[in-house]
Amino acid sequence: MRHWKATLVVSALVALAGLAVTSSQGQPLQGEYKIGVLEPLTGPLAFEGKRHLEGYEIMRDMINERGGVMGKKLVFAVGDATDPTAAASEATRLITREGVKIITGTYSSTLCGAASEATSRQNAIYWETSCVDPRFTRRGLKNVFRTEIDGTGFGWYNIEFIAKHLAPRFNLKPNQLKVAFLSEDSSYGQGVTEAARQRAKQEFGMSEVAAEYYAFATTNDFTPIILKLKALNPDIVHHIARGNDAVIFWRQSREQNFLFKALVHAGATGYGSPDFGKALGADGNAPFALLEPGPGFRLEALRPEGQRVEKAFRDIVQQKTGSYPLGGHQLAAGGLWLLKLVLDQARTDDLDKFRAAVMALDLPVGSSVNGWGVKFAENGQNSNERVQHYMLQWQGGQLVTVWPEEFTTNRAKWIPLGAWDQRK
Amino acid sequence: MHDIPQLLISTVLLGGIYALIAVGLTLIFGIMRVVNFAHGEFLMLGMYLAFWAFTLIAMDPYLVLLPAIPLFFLAGLATYALVMRGVIHASHNVQIFTTVGLSLALQNVALVLWTGDFRFIRPWYYSTVVRLGDTAFNVSQIAAFAVAMAFTAALFAFMRWSYTGRVMRATAQDREAASLMGIDADRVYAFTWAIGIVCVGIAGVLLAPLYPVYPTAGLQFVLLAYVVVVLGGLGDMVGALLGSLIVAAVEVVGSYVFGTAWKEVLYFLLFIAILLIRPAGLFGQRGAESLGV
Repeated sequence: MRHWKATLVVSALVALAGLAVTSSQGQPLQGEYKIGVLEPLTGPLAFEGKRHLEGYEIMRDMINERGGVMGKKLVFAVGDATDPTAAASEATRLITREGVKIITGTYSSTLCGAASEATSRQNAIYWETSCVDPRFTRRGLKNVFRTEIDGTGFGWYNIEFIAKHLAPRFNLKPNQLKVAFLSEDSSYGQGVTEAARQRAKQEFGMSEVAAEYYAFATTNDFTPIILKLKALNPDIVHHIARGNDAVIFWRQSREQNFLFKALVHAGATGYGSPDFGKALGADGNAPFALLEPGPGFRLEALRPEGQRVEKAFRDIVQQKTGSYPLGGHQLAAGGLWLLKLVLDQARTDDLDKFRAAVMALDLPVGSSVNGWGVKFAENGQNSNERVQHYMLQWQGGQLVTVWPEEFTTNRAKWIPLGAWDQRK
Repeated sequence: MHDIPQLLISTVLLGGIYALIAVGLTLIFGIMRVVNFAHGEFLMLGMYLAFWAFTLIAMDPYLVLLPAIPLFFLAGLATYALVMRGVIHASHNVQIFTTVGLSLALQNVALVLWTGDFRFIRPWYYSTVVRLGDTAFNVSQIAAFAVAMAFTAALFAFMRWSYTGRVMRATAQDREAASLMGIDADRVYAFTWAIGIVCVGIAGVLLAPLYPVYPTAGLQFVLLAYVVVVLGGLGDMVGALLGSLIVAAVEVVGSYVFGTAWKEVLYFLLFIAILLIRPAGLFGQRGAESLGV
């Protein structure tokens, strides 16, 4: 009897183990392939780093259900990149102690530079999915790749939206617009803002009424800058915020009755973070944030292969978190899916062959998660034109997709913005 | 020109908040000669206390002040007994490493328990704005300022006129002489540490309706508190109060006149200048081992 029970237990365990390494397509996975995942999991950036890690884990499971990478089960060795020093030391640890050949991460522009430098010194591959510092891919490093748009792309898209969508709805020409640029002072904020300033001025002749930078971690009162901007009477406030600075600026703008026609942001932080809505509810209606797609996004606007992977990803996130994918989920998952495509093509993590597979990958917009396409440049940057981005707006306490209009069923509201109490 | 009243009010309201944070820090330094690098984390705990009380039992943050005082007093006594007592006579290096360690431990406990998410409370008066002439301010800011000033004044009076306050000042001036007079220095230190923690814990509760709470929220304010304390004179409570107003004025006026990017340059230049010209701080007595109260 005891023998019979033991046999049953062992059989069940073997069956479970078999299930764990067998894809849903019935292909058994041959062993494991480990990569390093580096995110800030403690410290001031942990709130977003954890979301990215969750996105990676969801996509890892989805990949393993679809044949893994190179026929192997994808597994992670995770490192905590709490600051640039830790990012560099953790990258080194993952390569030298965990034996990984590829590291992906790290959410923040303050971390990706240090992490990728350390990875380069170990001659491993660095696959960035989130940071947007334009300098990241301008260092001539052959082992560094970025799937996400860079800061210049964020700036480009924001000005495109302002010039092509907002200006006509204000009944103004782009060169009649007055823009106030306000940004936190990290490489992310500066990269986006400088690109936007340049395009606004040179391509559209917009008037720049202010350009202000601040340290987001120590700015507790925006009243002085709001008073100054109020006197300058801008049409657009182009504000790149990093965290709770978005909440404080918006709340204090309301207190000071600072009126402008629109506020535009880019990225999954600040106005692009779900925390903005949690803090302000309907009082936070109206700001725009350039992001990955949100509610209202039309799946049918994508190519068939893009529809399949996007729908599967969205369904799994909904099932696991109870919500639409957040920006952190989308960036991490979108980037990891592209890494799978490259590894499946290269069949190796040898740098030269891996790089050749990266350069050969050529997918049009709408082919992948988030509606992205792929075409990497020699410097390792995915094409800004292929990494399709979308403008979302806070409406009723929720970020919804409003532009480009062919990708969404929602429309931008409150253009131009009315009084503060008329945005419900 | 018409912005001046608003800038003045912003300075005073911001200065009031900085003052309550700085007063606890300067009290601990003045009597114990310990720079508490975990000060910001107790601020964060105060904010979390207000958040959870509001979220779980819908308790208004200003009512939370009542249980917050004994709770933080007990937390102060506990951390003194468990962490600080052993290093109170050690070198400053050991004390710095200990309080930095305490700071990191508290941050990471908060991260594990409550995640890194930003959390907010929205009481009914959250977006209530008071307008007076050309000026406007949030009602929570006024409440935070009023309570901060009342608490600072009470602490000042306690230190100046109560028997315990005199005992604490005597210990600060000459620990050995105080011991010879029968004063239990260890009890004084424990009490001082606990009072300092109560001050910053209360500041955290008061800030909760105004700012989001997250595990490193304290860092946002406490760096300024160090500037304030050095500026006013380490250990000097009146100096801390005036130092808070000076730092707030530099922050507000500097942002308005020179640009936001310059505000930190300005107050750190001021900080360096004070250290060079008057190392004891603006109001600290050179070489005096006193609280200046």
